[in-house]
Amino acid sequence: MPAPTSWSPNPPPAPSYDAGPRSTFTNTIRLKLRVPARLRNLELALLVPALGIVAFALVLVQLATSGKTDAGILTLAGLLALLVLAMHVAMRLVAPNADPLILPIITVLNGLGIAEIYRIDISAKLSGWESAGVRQIAWTAMAIVIAIVVIVLIRNHRVLQRYRYIAMFSGILLLILPMLPLIGTTINGARVWISVGPFSFQPGELGKVALAIFFAGYLVTARDSLSMVGRKVLWMTFPRARDLGPILVVFAASMAVLIFQKDLGTSLLYFGLFLVMLYVATGRASWVVLGVGMFLVGAYVAFTTLSYVTGRVNSWLDAFSNANYTAQVNSSYQIVQGIFGLAHGGLIGTGLGLGQPYRTPLARSDFIFSSLGEELGLVGIFAILALYLLFVSRGFRIGFAGEDDFGRLLGVGLAFVVGLQVFIVIGGVTRVIPLTGLTTPFLAAGGSSLVANWIIAALLLRLSDTVRTTPRLVVEP
Amino acid sequence: MSALTLLILRLAFLAVLWAFVFAVVYALRSDLFGQRVRRQTAEQASSPFPTAPVAPLAPTPRVAAPAPAAVTVPSIPLAAAPAPPTEPIRSTLSPSFGERPGPARRLVITSGPKEGLEIELPSEQLAIGRSSESGLVIRDDYTSTHHARLMLWNDGWVVQDLDSTNGTFLDGVRVTLPTPVPLNTPVTIGTTTFELRR
Repeated sequence: MPAPTSWSPNPPPAPSYDAGPRSTFTNTIRLKLRVPARLRNLELALLVPALGIVAFALVLVQLATSGKTDAGILTLAGLLALLVLAMHVAMRLVAPNADPLILPIITVLNGLGIAEIYRIDISAKLSGWESAGVRQIAWTAMAIVIAIVVIVLIRNHRVLQRYRYIAMFSGILLLILPMLPLIGTTINGARVWISVGPFSFQPGELGKVALAIFFAGYLVTARDSLSMVGRKVLWMTFPRARDLGPILVVFAASMAVLIFQKDLGTSLLYFGLFLVMLYVATGRASWVVLGVGMFLVGAYVAFTTLSYVTGRVNSWLDAFSNANYTAQVNSSYQIVQGIFGLAHGGLIGTGLGLGQPYRTPLARSDFIFSSLGEELGLVGIFAILALYLLFVSRGFRIGFAGEDDFGRLLGVGLAFVVGLQVFIVIGGVTRVIPLTGLTTPFLAAGGSSLVANWIIAALLLRLSDTVRTTPRLVVEP
Repeated sequence: MSALTLLILRLAFLAVLWAFVFAVVYALRSDLFGQRVRRQTAEQASSPFPTAPVAPLAPTPRVAAPAPAAVTVPSIPLAAAPAPPTEPIRSTLSPSFGERPGPARRLVITSGPKEGLEIELPSEQLAIGRSSESGLVIRDDYTSTHHARLMLWNDGWVVQDLDSTNGTFLDGVRVTLPTPVPLNTPVTIGTTTFELRR
């Protein structure tokens, strides 16, 4: 074997590419190996228990409420299981190297949500299309189909970078859609819905996907000017005033959501998403300091001037006071009921179907976490939180392992937006932060949220398929 | 349905839920605790940083090797390999291969267990480490899970050490900041040294 040191630092000029015998050989016998789909097999191995858990939860609800099993809802859930398996097969074909853990995790979360919603329907004596559980199953089916379409159609995530300005416009459009007359609807005080015929939809949920794509595409090109120059104050380098444009625009947009749509949660979600992606893109903590400061000032101004924010903060700080509990508007009744439910559940819960989650208003959507907490107990909701943690950490891993900057930013942004939403909702239910109207990802009743979160999962799967290329070379002693 | 059966069933449900969580965590254990270290044989461990290439002239054929091509290539005695003229090879690769200025396109391992192998560099970055998600996986006692990465910055490759335990050495100097890698300059990670070539 010729020693590799025979490569002289100054190769002879005549054949500038010195194709030695060795490289000749590697080029000619490059083999195309049929790699076994190890990741997909792992996914299937986890998917089967995941579907089993969902079936177990549904049977448990039926046994506890009526003492016998009923094939109706199980058949519908079985159809969903077929769709999940169809997504698995689609990934075997078009995304064989995608992350194997995401699909089982979201299957369990989504299924637990369906079981709990179905359980509350039984208490409310709803059945058929009336019941939110059946509608949730229908929305889940639609969300899975859309997720499959996303995985099959978007073969390379870099395509999304090209459409970043379209993503920006559609994000803004989805944000302001509820403000339009005719189709915009105010439900429970927040004007974040559109109604077309019998359907109501929360377009802001889809807006977060579009904005994550736009932020990733924009920050890849703009981060140099946002991170290179600045003025040093104490130990931190703060950006120049002229570079503050983007953050001011996003701040103004999120404040507009707060004021005109009366939606605290969405406003916090969008601003937090932008801030974190800015931090990841530039690596500068000063942006976070600046953004959190701006948001605190804005939130304080909103607290003093907007009555609904004042009410939310009061029922957060002093939920158990009689005045807040019995108030006609902005009462803390809902939060307190939710906390009573959590307390009723205790450590191991009352058991699915055996608690009284229906006593909390909006127990299916905003307060599904306290409903599940009552029936599964601390042990059960910690398992749910662990599943969220695993989902978000997979997203961060996908971002970390990414080979292009756009993919890395997008992965981190999409995973973070789910994590932040979980924090905002569950923090609100458990009185860590003021209660805001957002849906718990994958669990809560609501079609728009399901569709948006399944799209996020599909994009993360697509990203992970692109980045998790099998190693080019493995060096082992 | 008796109350006892329901109690057992709902406890079983919580147990199954947690079993699923732990199954997922078990599946990603290599992310949490790092890739398992393969023990080196005694004679290899005695000289961890070989100054001269110590790869055996005819490496033992390893059955469980990940890529058969990667093993067979160095084991074929090169003297026996046909040495076709370089002209047709060039045409199969790229018409202007070698003449075009620009960043390096190949990574050649110059010493270590896989001495002599080369890979094509990816378009933007190459992760190096013990993790199986790295583009270049080096599994020896001296490599960290996420050891270093090569990034293409402004038409030049830059090596960045990712706070590895044993360091990344560019031409014998330990890399602390992202440092440009000139062509044909040895980069040492663990027992493996490679160079970037055009």
